[in-house]
Amino acid sequence: MSTAGEQGGLGKYIVVYLCMLAITGIEVVIASSNPGGAHLLPMMLILAFTGALLGVLFFMGLAAEKRSLILFVAVFTLFVLATINYGWTDSFRVLMGAPYAK
Amino acid sequence: MSHSDVALGGHHAPAMEPSPFAIPAIKLAMWLFIISDIMTFAACLVAYGFLRNATPNWPRPYHSSTIISVLVMTVILVTSSLIMVMAVRAARAGDRAGAFRWTMVTLALGLLFAILHLREWFGMIGQGVTFSANPWGTGLFGGAYFSVTGMELLHVIAALIALLIIGLGYKSGRYGAAHIENCNLFWQFINIVWMFVVPLVYLMDIAS
Repeated sequence: MSTAGEQGGLGKYIVVYLCMLAITGIEVVIASSNPGGAHLLPMMLILAFTGALLGVLFFMGLAAEKRSLILFVAVFTLFVLATINYGWTDSFRVLMGAPYAK
Repeated sequence: MSHSDVALGGHHAPAMEPSPFAIPAIKLAMWLFIISDIMTFAACLVAYGFLRNATPNWPRPYHSSTIISVLVMTVILVTSSLIMVMAVRAARAGDRAGAFRWTMVTLALGLLFAILHLREWFGMIGQGVTFSANPWGTGLFGGAYFSVTGMELLHVIAALIALLIIGLGYKSGRYGAAHIENCNLFWQFINIVWMFVVPLVYLMDIAS
């Protein structure tokens, strides 16, 4: 949180706070109304990423930092999150009971 | 720049290179730590998702009582995040008493969160969930559940200790606003991770 972020009142942070609570509420409603649904995971991930983005930008103050720091954090985080999902295809292979490649 | 320039604090050039991204080194270090911690949590959550996806009889044990408890924990954690922001604002304004007060309120809410988290754990253990077995399905569930939520709880406990030490140190004048701000970064990071733990671990497995 930089000094620039200190100039305004608390209003912005209260809006973010309410949005984060609302996102959790929406997640609960969606998950409860459709337990185990096929499209549950993408919806949950979209909502979780939205809440996380709000937290990083405003509560962690990244939005008020220099653009170079925002890019640095975004590029590294997205790279990690992208590469760590490399194993999903193997997860489906295990589910289908397919043997290892020979 | 020669060594003599650095030693003399040369007139024509700064003694040291400017800080990367124009933030203090202590803050950059915290951001680097958080980025590395993202790898840890992402690995845990992806491993949880991998196991859940690849296991046909993955249990869905969460009833409304658990979901209500998780909702209450979320409200507590998000509220503590807002209050920690208020602590940072007070610290930046030089209000030592105010910053200390808000930091301690955050600490109290975090403690409440940790107690509810442990209560949730004991509830699961009481139902027969261990690292390798549970009454509902694959034994992998317990190990995955306790790994992900345990990692979160471990971070909360570490952050509570940091809040206590930094809060007291700030009040006594040993630490400055930058330290409170660093505590805020770590506390917000824990809140953000919880935003993923709730849907992926709990809400995806609500009992039908």
